[in-house]
Amino acid sequence: MLALQPPPQAPIDAPQIEYSAILPVLILLGAACIGVLVEAFVSKASRWAAQVTLSLLAILGAGLAFVLYVTDSPERGLTTLYRTIAVDRPALFLWGTLLALGLGALLLIADRTVERGGAFVAQAGIRPGTVQDRAQMASGGMQTEVFPLTLFALSGMMIFCAANDLLTMFIALEVLSLPLYLMCGLARRRRLISQESAVKYFLLGAFASAFFLYGLALLYGYAGSVKLADIANAAAGSAASDTLLFGGFGLLVVGLMFKASVGPFHAWTPDVYQGSPTPITAFMAACTKVAAFGGILRVLTVGFESTSWEWRGVLWVVAVASMVIGAVLGLTQTDIKRMLAYSSIAHAGFLLVGALALRPEGLSGTLFYLLTYGFTTLAAFGAVSLVRDSNGEATHLSQWAGLAKRSPVLAWVFAFLLLAMAGIPLTSGFIGKFVVFSAGIQDGMAPLVVIALVASAVAAFFYLRVIVLMFFSDPAPDGPTVTVPGTFTTAAITLGVLVTLVLGLVPAFALDWAGTGTFAF
Amino acid sequence: MSNSAMLLAQAGAEVAKVSTGEAISFWILAPLALGGALGMIFARNAVHSAMFLVLTMLSLGVMYMVQQAPFLGFVQIIVYTGAIMMLFLFVLMLVGRDSSDSVVEVLRGQRVWAAILGIGLAGLLVTGVAEALTSVRPVGLAEQNAGGANVANIGRSVFTDYLFPFELTSALLITAALGAMVLGYTDKSKRRTQRETADARFRGEHDRPSPLPGPGVYATANSVAVPALLPDGSIAPESVSAIIEATASRELATDIETVAGAIPGPDAHALKPAAAKEGDK
Amino acid sequence: MVGDVSVMAQSSGSDLGSYLPLVFLLALGAIFAGVSATLGALVGPKRYNRAKLEAYECGIEPSPQPVVGGGRVPVAYYLTAMLFILFDIEMVFLYPFAVSADALGVFGLVEIVLFIATVGFAYAYVWRRGGLDWN
Repeated sequence: MLALQPPPQAPIDAPQIEYSAILPVLILLGAACIGVLVEAFVSKASRWAAQVTLSLLAILGAGLAFVLYVTDSPERGLTTLYRTIAVDRPALFLWGTLLALGLGALLLIADRTVERGGAFVAQAGIRPGTVQDRAQMASGGMQTEVFPLTLFALSGMMIFCAANDLLTMFIALEVLSLPLYLMCGLARRRRLISQESAVKYFLLGAFASAFFLYGLALLYGYAGSVKLADIANAAAGSAASDTLLFGGFGLLVVGLMFKASVGPFHAWTPDVYQGSPTPITAFMAACTKVAAFGGILRVLTVGFESTSWEWRGVLWVVAVASMVIGAVLGLTQTDIKRMLAYSSIAHAGFLLVGALALRPEGLSGTLFYLLTYGFTTLAAFGAVSLVRDSNGEATHLSQWAGLAKRSPVLAWVFAFLLLAMAGIPLTSGFIGKFVVFSAGIQDGMAPLVVIALVASAVAAFFYLRVIVLMFFSDPAPDGPTVTVPGTFTTAAITLGVLVTLVLGLVPAFALDWAGTGTFAF
Repeated sequence: MSNSAMLLAQAGAEVAKVSTGEAISFWILAPLALGGALGMIFARNAVHSAMFLVLTMLSLGVMYMVQQAPFLGFVQIIVYTGAIMMLFLFVLMLVGRDSSDSVVEVLRGQRVWAAILGIGLAGLLVTGVAEALTSVRPVGLAEQNAGGANVANIGRSVFTDYLFPFELTSALLITAALGAMVLGYTDKSKRRTQRETADARFRGEHDRPSPLPGPGVYATANSVAVPALLPDGSIAPESVSAIIEATASRELATDIETVAGAIPGPDAHALKPAAAKEGDK
Repeated sequence: MVGDVSVMAQSSGSDLGSYLPLVFLLALGAIFAGVSATLGALVGPKRYNRAKLEAYECGIEPSPQPVVGGGRVPVAYYLTAMLFILFDIEMVFLYPFAVSADALGVFGLVEIVLFIATVGFAYAYVWRRGGLDWN
């Protein structure tokens, strides 16, 4: 019975680990740990430089390891670390996307020219509005902990896309979420609204994690395993009650949809996007969306494809709700960051259309859409951070009136990005919508695609409204000015705009790459 | 929670005979767990609520051990009763022991709907899962605790099948430490040394350069409430802790005011008794 | 406690009779605590003094607590709580490792050292940045 002194067990064998495949993730995790040590042992004055150098080197190094591996990666992909990680073509596509987006977001985070001292508070522990708080506003420092936190979040996202079982997926979900909750509350300006957004995100995120975990437990009860492939096998031929399977699936999906800010699980999105420091909003909007949909694609395709008849109708409703909420509520917004938040909810609905088409075209289309949306939204938030007045960022739409007369370059760039989000031809957004919707039609989801087209037409209206406001209104006399960004922010925005342009003109290579393989398990 | 425990107990009864010891421990632990849970909900003081929760969790932990899941039992006690409950208490202390939520509803009818939907979801889950669990074939204790070593089997699992999630947990722990430091700690790097503080005292930045005199202790009294005498025989008022003096006056303040008529008495014409005066506690 | 249980498990049969010494020990502890508390209240002299009702009879004034918030404590305590949980969780993982250390061999040792080292980074950070100092 309760023998805590076990009989001798057979020794275990050290596993075969494909280090070359997971090296990008290991580099990021290792660099994040070194970043923590830098925080511990490097003097305050040189911390920023050390952290920026380390983080950039880490992402570039991870990118190099990634490129070296991709060139001769096996066609069918592989699983490693006791089958907890599946490095296959979709995962590699998402990793590449995440690394590039992460680089852009890191550049925005590291920038200290747009806001003196960076977008982050010098000491988050000081209460907002106190004398000490005013003193630290004047000082130029920032919490350099954001750099290791960003690296942790990024590695969590990469693991989330490649997790082959639900337990790994859950831990990865937390690894990517925890740093984000934290960084949301670190804005230098408007600290109360920033902290409020962090608390909201954290509480709702914790609830979503609980849903995910409950679903995981029920699915384990159903299949006797947390591996996606085992769940799929059990669903194909198991005598166990389907209540466990679908109850578990439903709860699991709630957790996933929350992270992807889909439809009725979106409540946190506008507040958090608005309150967070804009570089973090950019990081969150671009990278979390990619990671979350990577996870959704894998769970739906690997784990639940055989039962898709039963759950598909429910996710149709979710997709429609997401598109309608995003498009309609987006119309009523007066704050540019909130408007982009509702836009991201609408886009989540469009992405779900692709994810629901459980066929190779749907997979490659969704992957491509994620790539395009990520870069567009990254650059858009980068541009938002440049329009400022004496109180920091001027995010109210009325302040953007006549911006083209003050700064034609920024106005044109932003207009281009908005057109890409609206899905106007010659931008990447058009191609993305095209491939996703055509995959939906091929899979017999014509009604859903029609609703999606109507929703994108409605959404296009509020994008165009901003463009009209920027180009055809008179600027207010005391309106905001456009800050001339330093190298980092310029590079990030340029990266986003260039990718949006290139993928709009010559999308073939990326589409080919997105369609080269399926999930391994 | 206790529902599932009952369920497990029932399932166990069908599979194998429950030993007397197990039955006795169940009938001791289950009421304790249930009582703790009810106490947690109905206790007025938040700290008492937390303590009742500790009782429930401890009972559950012991119950797990009785069910031959010693690792789960230990983790329940170490993590939940130890760490999580400590965090609960800390949060209560941070928020303020006696502070209560604002009762203003921002969205009208929000509470009612939240209650209805919450109870609905709970009912759906409990009935669904309870119904579904009957069709689940348990692995069985013998197979699960093969070799009589529950903990060792878990060790094997953690270091083989779940090696990567386990190592990834350390990233979570680091993030937690970073977060606690970033949010809860302010760097007071300009702390004065002892020397500087002493200089400041004599420069007159403090009320007096020396510490306050201690209280007088006489042969007749060993109380700190007795003041010390100065060399000239006069009383040194600052030798008695201000709190002792203040307590008396604070406690009597209301009485004095009532006697002096500063506080209006009950109004004979009022329909309701006047609200008790807020403030002095 | 762990040692007790394992010894009992080896010596006794398969039912819960092996827990009897544990129950006995618990009862003994409860009786001791109850008797000491009651005895002190019954036998001890009771001389009332207001100073005795203060938190510290020796005269140290308790730091003033805001009456409004209902006795809040500073947020700095939270750091201590968080650190405690950090090492608590670490210990939870050390336990199964220790039990099956033989079977896990060098590979398991490397893994657990990696785990401890990474958590150690967090500790180094908190320590170096003054999180363990009290001010």
